[in-house]
Amino acid sequence: MPIQYYIALAVILFSIGVVGVLTRRNAIIIFMCIELMLNATNLLLVAFSKMHHGAALAADAATKVGVEGQLFVFFVMVVAAAEVSVGLAIIVMMYRNVHSVDINFLNRLKN
Amino acid sequence: MYLVPLFPLLGAIISGLFRNQLSKTAAGIIASGAIAASFVVSFLLFFQVKSGGAIAVTPLFTFIKTSAFTIDFAFQVDQLSALFLLIITGIGFLIHLYSTAYMHEEEPHHFARYFSYLNLFVFSMLLLVMGANYVIMFIGWEGVGLCSYLLIGYWFKNTNYTAAAKKAFIMNRIGDMGFLLAVFYILQKVGSANYATVFAFDGFSSTDVTTICILLFVGAMGKSAQLPLYTWLPDAMAGPTPVSALIHAATMVTAGIYMIARSNVLYSASEIAQHLVAIVGLATALFSATIALKQNDIKKVLAYSTVSQLGYMFLGLGVGAYTGAVFHVMTHAFFKALLFLGAGSVIHAMHHEQDIRNMGGLKKHLPITHITFLLGCIAIAGVPPFSGFFSKDEILAAAYAHNPIYWGLGVAGAAMTAFYMFRLYATTFLGSFRGTQQQLSHLHESPISMTLPLMVLALLSVVGGFLNVPEVLHGNAALHHFLSPVLTSESKHSLSHSTEYILMGSSVAIATLALIFAINKFSKNPELGEATGLGKTLANKWYVDEAYDAAIVKPLNSVSLLFKNFVEKGIDGLVNGSGKLVQYSSRQVRLVQNGQVGSYILYMVLSMVILFLLWWNQPILTKFIQKIF
Amino acid sequence: MNAIILSAIFGVVLMMASAFVSNRSLYKTIALACLVLLVGANIAETLGYSFFTIDTHNMLAFNKMGLFFNTICFTATLLYVFISSSEIERVDNYTAEYFALIFFSLCGIAILTSFNNLLMMFLGIEIMSIPLYILTGSDKRNLKSNEAALKYFLMGSFSTGILLLGIAFIYGATGSFGLESIKVGTLQMQLSILEVTGCILLLIAFAFKVSAAPFHFWTPDVYDGAPSVFTSFMASIIKVAGFYAFVKLFESRIETTSFATNPAVGVNWHLLFAILIIATLFVGNITAVFQQSVKRMLAYSSIAQAGFMLFALFSVNAFSKEGLYLYAAGYCLATIGIFAVLVRMKDYTFEGFNGLAKHEPTLAFATTVCLLSLAGIPLTVGFFAKYFMLAAVVKQGYAWLAIVGVLFAGVSIYYYFRVIAAMYFKSADENPAAVATSSTVKIGLAVVVAGIIILGVWPHALLNFLYF
Repeated sequence: MPIQYYIALAVILFSIGVVGVLTRRNAIIIFMCIELMLNATNLLLVAFSKMHHGAALAADAATKVGVEGQLFVFFVMVVAAAEVSVGLAIIVMMYRNVHSVDINFLNRLKN
Repeated sequence: MYLVPLFPLLGAIISGLFRNQLSKTAAGIIASGAIAASFVVSFLLFFQVKSGGAIAVTPLFTFIKTSAFTIDFAFQVDQLSALFLLIITGIGFLIHLYSTAYMHEEEPHHFARYFSYLNLFVFSMLLLVMGANYVIMFIGWEGVGLCSYLLIGYWFKNTNYTAAAKKAFIMNRIGDMGFLLAVFYILQKVGSANYATVFAFDGFSSTDVTTICILLFVGAMGKSAQLPLYTWLPDAMAGPTPVSALIHAATMVTAGIYMIARSNVLYSASEIAQHLVAIVGLATALFSATIALKQNDIKKVLAYSTVSQLGYMFLGLGVGAYTGAVFHVMTHAFFKALLFLGAGSVIHAMHHEQDIRNMGGLKKHLPITHITFLLGCIAIAGVPPFSGFFSKDEILAAAYAHNPIYWGLGVAGAAMTAFYMFRLYATTFLGSFRGTQQQLSHLHESPISMTLPLMVLALLSVVGGFLNVPEVLHGNAALHHFLSPVLTSESKHSLSHSTEYILMGSSVAIATLALIFAINKFSKNPELGEATGLGKTLANKWYVDEAYDAAIVKPLNSVSLLFKNFVEKGIDGLVNGSGKLVQYSSRQVRLVQNGQVGSYILYMVLSMVILFLLWWNQPILTKFIQKIF
Repeated sequence: MNAIILSAIFGVVLMMASAFVSNRSLYKTIALACLVLLVGANIAETLGYSFFTIDTHNMLAFNKMGLFFNTICFTATLLYVFISSSEIERVDNYTAEYFALIFFSLCGIAILTSFNNLLMMFLGIEIMSIPLYILTGSDKRNLKSNEAALKYFLMGSFSTGILLLGIAFIYGATGSFGLESIKVGTLQMQLSILEVTGCILLLIAFAFKVSAAPFHFWTPDVYDGAPSVFTSFMASIIKVAGFYAFVKLFESRIETTSFATNPAVGVNWHLLFAILIIATLFVGNITAVFQQSVKRMLAYSSIAQAGFMLFALFSVNAFSKEGLYLYAAGYCLATIGIFAVLVRMKDYTFEGFNGLAKHEPTLAFATTVCLLSLAGIPLTVGFFAKYFMLAAVVKQGYAWLAIVGVLFAGVSIYYYFRVIAAMYFKSADENPAAVATSSTVKIGLAVVVAGIIILGVWPHALLNFLYF
């Protein structure tokens, strides 16, 4: 499959994530949408990794070109996990105080 | 070497910061001690320099660094600056000592404030003479101007005094602008402000040199009170008397002389500038001497006398007698400080009475003050072998060699000097006491810390001249030889010995005649009434202040009124309008920050989209922007 | 390497300390000692003594510029902890953890000053940011703190997504995450559409991190809602570290691609940056004018200052490089100083500052010096920082942009001087406006003031270190 398909898929997934962030008011769902954005880029990274690997393979059968793209994905996952733990803690803290996870519920800070 | 300015700086900081904690004694000791310490160092330094050592430029750190030039914070010690260091710290110390008694009636924290300013002044003055480039000199230059302002307005509750302080500051600023322009010009042409580099630079055209010299001279005119910027100096007498002695007689006002002597290489390359300096100097000397004839305030007489003597120094610079000018700076520092301190002692004894018409007969009440004051008067009148004779004569001889008319006018000025000084002396000390009974009962000689500086200075005024006895009087012209490495472009005059003898003889004779005439005239019947005719004009200082008022201040005022009524309204409208616009937009823009995360992210996404749109349509946009700018 | 490893270890040490050391007042001593060691280790590495030899496969590259920047940040943190440790103790019961989080953030900074690879840059940013989400929400029962943390976290992770997408595009175009390979691509002027898009996405993500308009929306709310003592840390050290990374990432690309329009895609970086700068200056300065709370005003003013720091990106030359260091040092000093005073105020509005000069002349004086520095008045370091930035732009031939900068700096004087006027020319209606200050705070403030003035008179005291 040409790389354009993967790019298109990733961009569409990413956009779905963005639109989700924009339209939903539940903090947890927004959070899931952000995860979707991150995973879209993961997909893109893997696709590019494969592409570069494939291109280099023609010249050298034992090439390791492209492996760093897949490595990056693991780092993204780890960072995302760290963000999840912090983010969920923040959301739980908010829920304890106001008994709601609606992001627009808290808007004392403005202007 | 850097210790010399460091001590006064520390003294200023300590007595300034702890002015509420320090007792008067402590403040006095700290301040005087700081100057004494720096005097000792200067003294050692001077003898090192004399024996040929210690002459060096010492950079402390890089002060300004740009791609076009680098300015180091560097100190230069050579013969000229060593001599000035000695004068500044030596006389500075005596005056500090004197001040401890003179200012003793002040509140402790004002007392400490006074000494803090005084130390700061000495620090700035040292910076001025020790700087190895024009920028450092300018820092000191501004520093002394600031301290002078602070000290003139020391009694800040009196509005007249603060007005005098402002006047001094503004007049100085006019001159400073000239100096600053000169520094810019030099930096632009040479790419360095270091003396060594500037003097060795050979890329100046004659117009460049003349412009630089004249601009520098404008600076000197302000600081050293020359026509037409001299009017601040007489008003500056509002400050405490020791301040007048230190700043407005002995040191700060000679900064202009120092600067031109330092730049002698440049001046010698520009004949026009030299002529200008000589003529302005001579005119100032004569002009202020005439004013001094009719003043009745003891300090005003001395102030105009200072202006006049400064004029002589500039005359000396203008005719190429740089050593003569520096020599006169030194002797003048001795006897004028002496006279001011003596006047201070009189004022102190008379309970702040300054009008000589209310004095008289103080001879027997203030014996030490009287003797020292008399010695000072003789010295300034130029009677041999007192110091004033040698220095003034050296300038006059050089003036004669340059142009006999200069000499003639100079001698006329010298005669007037002798006349007004002895008018002052006779009216104050001779005759009978004319003050109130109460003042008479309180008359007393000043304490030892005031008379000691008087005696030291009197001694110096008497013997100071022997430092530089000219060859024609079988002297060895020691100062001449000492300064010759720095004042390289000194012009040698070639007068025959007989001519010189005649010149000296006639000037001394004329001065002595004037002196005797004055004593005779004023010891018995001092003029107590209001002056009339020409005398009135002189008493009113040729109406210069009034003329300035009419020619500059009034028109400026009316122009400013015009601006205020018409132009300002428009500008106000503009300024206030833009202020209102800012406030209005502030109120509107902050509403964007509505507190909802969702809309924030929406704005961000929209901005991203707009950025991308801009990006892909950039050629159109760039063209549009280029059209605007 | 010293800085990265030691800051991480010290973070763990402080976490352990909370479990094993029961004496709470000991934590700040440990933190201060660790910071001193950290600064020392970093200076040692600058002088060539690296304690660890690790093959980083060229993902990290240590140079003197970056290490010197570390020194500035760590020293500022040392000063910050010295002044504010008692306030940090007052936030909640978890003092040691707060210190640990600060150390983790410093670890992120150390990575950001030495990354040579987009992966490391990504990790550095995340390591620096995630502790901040927690610090923002550390006042757990305060709704404002909650709200700030939530907003910061949501927008922060959104910007992470954008950053990642940018990195992915660049990787797709160049086949590598290394900074050098990207540079090679730009030198040959062969920017593909994919790469340009990636670069803009990176630009946007970083603009978010340094709160450049129009991606600044999180800043006022987060700075306002977070406990003041942590706002101080975020607004000073984190902010300038973000800038350093921003400049480090883009400096090589701007040099080659900005001055001429790139023929391949019609790129003119300068245009983008000019838009960002003007928008940032506008939003920051104009909005600050109408604020009622000094804390929120400072948040907007930090956006305005970011606008000035963006000049360093606009014109990459010697001036802007020096200016960035000077700005970093001066801005950190001033911000730490002013927040140290702010946390002691009972009332954060302008009225709260009324008559401070009477009750607490020391605090008022320190505040004045800091505000003057932020406003860029001569004899303070802020003046030279702004001067260098503007000179860099003028040198690059964009005088009109410098004029815009000066105009907005003029506006900034208005709101900074409102505080000064309140302190000196108005009298308080009721009792002392500030809580008592310990001598530690006063010593710290004296250091801040001395630093601002010394660097303001003699900026080369700092800049000479760049060339030693």
